[in-house]
Amino acid sequence: MTRFILQRALWGILVVMSVVTLVFFLIFVAGDPAVTILGPQARAEQIADFKAKKGLDRPVSEQFLSYLGVVPCVRKDSPQFEQDDGTRGFCGILQGDLGESYSHHESVANVIGHRLPRTLLLAAMAVLFELIIGLTAGIVAALRRNRWTDTSIMFATFVGISLPTYVTGPIALLVFSFLLGWFPFGGYGIDPLDHVYHALLPSLILAVAGAATYARVMRGELIETLRHDHVRTAKAKGMPASQVVIRHAIRNALLPVATLIGLSLPFLVGGAIITEKIFAWPGLGLLTIESIESLDAPVIMAVVLMFGVAVQIGNLLADIAVAALDPRIRLDD
Amino acid sequence: MRSIRKTSALRPTHALGVAAAIAVAALAVGWIVTHFPHAPVGPRYIGAGNETARPGGTFIFAAGSNIHTLDPHFAYDTLSTAACRLLYDGLLDYDYDGEMIPSLAEALPEISEGGRVFRFRLRDGIKFHNGREITADDIAWSMHRLLSERIGSPGYPFFKSIEGAPAYHAGDTDRIEGIVVLDERSIEFRLDEADQTFLNALAMPFAYPLAREHVEQLETAEGVDAVGRHPIGAGPFAFSRWERGVQVEFERFEEYWAPAARPDKMVFLENISADVASARFRNGDLDIIYRPSKVNRLFLRESKAWAPYLAEAPSASVFALGLNCELPPFDNVHVRRAVAFALDRSKLERLDPGQVIAATQVLPPMLAPHDPELPSGQVFDLDRAKEEMRLAGFPDGLSEPVIVWVRGEGEVRVAQLFQQDLKAIGIEIELKLVTFATYLRETGRPRVAQAAFTGWHQDFPDPSNFMDILFHSRSIHPENSENRSFYRNPKLDRILDEARPETDRETRLALYAEANSILADDAPWAFLYYPVDMFAWQPYVKGFRPHPVWLNEYRHVWLDLPKQRVSQAIYEEAAR
Repeated sequence: MTRFILQRALWGILVVMSVVTLVFFLIFVAGDPAVTILGPQARAEQIADFKAKKGLDRPVSEQFLSYLGVVPCVRKDSPQFEQDDGTRGFCGILQGDLGESYSHHESVANVIGHRLPRTLLLAAMAVLFELIIGLTAGIVAALRRNRWTDTSIMFATFVGISLPTYVTGPIALLVFSFLLGWFPFGGYGIDPLDHVYHALLPSLILAVAGAATYARVMRGELIETLRHDHVRTAKAKGMPASQVVIRHAIRNALLPVATLIGLSLPFLVGGAIITEKIFAWPGLGLLTIESIESLDAPVIMAVVLMFGVAVQIGNLLADIAVAALDPRIRLDD
Repeated sequence: MRSIRKTSALRPTHALGVAAAIAVAALAVGWIVTHFPHAPVGPRYIGAGNETARPGGTFIFAAGSNIHTLDPHFAYDTLSTAACRLLYDGLLDYDYDGEMIPSLAEALPEISEGGRVFRFRLRDGIKFHNGREITADDIAWSMHRLLSERIGSPGYPFFKSIEGAPAYHAGDTDRIEGIVVLDERSIEFRLDEADQTFLNALAMPFAYPLAREHVEQLETAEGVDAVGRHPIGAGPFAFSRWERGVQVEFERFEEYWAPAARPDKMVFLENISADVASARFRNGDLDIIYRPSKVNRLFLRESKAWAPYLAEAPSASVFALGLNCELPPFDNVHVRRAVAFALDRSKLERLDPGQVIAATQVLPPMLAPHDPELPSGQVFDLDRAKEEMRLAGFPDGLSEPVIVWVRGEGEVRVAQLFQQDLKAIGIEIELKLVTFATYLRETGRPRVAQAAFTGWHQDFPDPSNFMDILFHSRSIHPENSENRSFYRNPKLDRILDEARPETDRETRLALYAEANSILADDAPWAFLYYPVDMFAWQPYVKGFRPHPVWLNEYRHVWLDLPKQRVSQAIYEEAAR
């Protein structure tokens, strides 16, 4: 298991580094961050000053290596640019320095520190809703197979999978917030309970497609499992039907669901980009959109780094979860 | 062969059941549609009926993106500026007619040495939010911070005419010679050469003074950016709290030098899109809305209930089709004029009713010397356009299509409107849709973009802010040109150089009027439209009117409390 995790971690680092390199150079192809940040009204002098301050007047290769932290700092506004002893230090990701946001006038770590917990709250609530609604619907559909309950649930899941967030989001806002007034009209609220209240509608919307997918997978797996010999044996031993389903069938049927959850974690954060925009939820998704629009390179890089790491961790967790649920799977094999 | 018995045939009883179910469902849908709550048609709340201004209450407004900083030395975007306007005051300000007025200064400055020296005297007893009185040293120290290389503020170019500012900015000297503190309340600014726009620069948020001890302590403890998160100014409201990306709150500063009845609290919501903000406003959750979404804008314009609480005002901006004067065919002035005459701008007014005014010249309507009767003004005249094409030597039109750079779907829509107009004079256009970042980089380079959609919003209300930056040959550079049409006219340069330092207002306006006419006639830009801003406020919000300079100016509002909820039926009855 340890060897497997180490191998996967090394592989993950390689993948993340490749993505980081690619995105770093893509930003420079997309446009000039200094020009974009300062906007269409910027004077040539302002642009030159900004570039000098952020090290954007240095060759791109030097900027990249400085960003990684393998050559001395090129950012004049970093304390590392001129240390107390007059030498130039390092200010890259290897030193844990994500740089300073171009548009927020503060460190990227601070900016992300504000936004990440909000997105995690949304994602956590969405996973919760996905599991509660998806698994319940899947189990009910499997147990009531080919009856109207099953047909209705499967029809609903079909609709759920087909409807994108940018359709369901505004409709939900219009109906449940504007007309019925049951939920707040977007935003984040101002204290912890208020945050959860504000997260209810966006997390439900974010959970729709996931819940529908889980319901379909759960139904299929459970129907399949219920046909297995060990379930028949349990029934034959006189075990109550509910116990058979809970103890023998559901646990086995959960295997592919666990993999799906692991794989979907990063996409929940990614999918939150659209949901956050619609519901004015000021999390990482909204930050990503803003940063890309304004070419706030340090923030884009940090977000890419985080998403990359999240995907790798999600995949790893899925593998580990599957192994824990299924004793036949040995990760070191 | 055995016959197959049909087992799924609908029996009569089943058919009746299905029909009954459909009927019940239809009835249910009908009931829901009838009884579903309707969107409010008029304001949900009205005021208590007080005639005189009263303090108290919380005023809530919203914007579609983030406030980036509350440090005025970095506030170069609309929202940061709006927030800084609550927190800080400067030496100078503008009234609701766009005229310059003293603010922290007790009067407009004494001007001497042919417009090179400006002497200010501070009002007595003005305090920062930490209770300390402001002195001339604070003004001088703040200007040094603003112009230092260490800070790297985007405000530097506006103040580089101060004697010694460039050397200080480059780190060659440790003080700016041209900023002289005369006594505790008097300060003098000496410029390298006369420049009337220096006063406009001093009225920008960049020049708002900060409390030195507070800034130094914060910068030492948390770095330069901390000032933007824990601001202390001398404005009508003090900083209270900021949930980043969500909302920032301010509370009334009781020791403000110009006491007035103001709300106890101002709440500025961030990241609320126009759709959401419009719905919240109509629900009574926002006190004012600026630039509602298009659907809501049309609704509000048509609504009788909202009519008393609406204002529309042209924005201090101009949008245009920029024509590259270095590249064929627009190196020929007749082709440029032909384009300017060929565009039927009334189509835009029909497409977005109430949202735009057809543009005839570079200066927007509220900025002197805008002239609605300008003889060289650009108007739709197909015959003159064809005549100009003939004079240009293209009586049958151009053989090659012109490539027009556009930045987004909105501009594509506008460009498509004009495609037919240009075709009528034999100019085919092809649209090149690029990202904003690419657009900015490439259109700032000479000889790249033949034509591009472009625009300008004033930094301060002075014609030089449009003409010097956009059309003076000094603004052409190998990269990042401000003059993106690469227009060079020695005569225009001379007029602009003469007008900038001119102290006599009438002479100055006459010079800019001449420049305005030249630009309309030479058509480096084919002017398209001036956007119109819409504001709507709740009936209990008093004292608001659009400001000609500051976009979100809520310093003078007061709330007529307690507000009372009214039934929507009164509007429905009135409509009937």
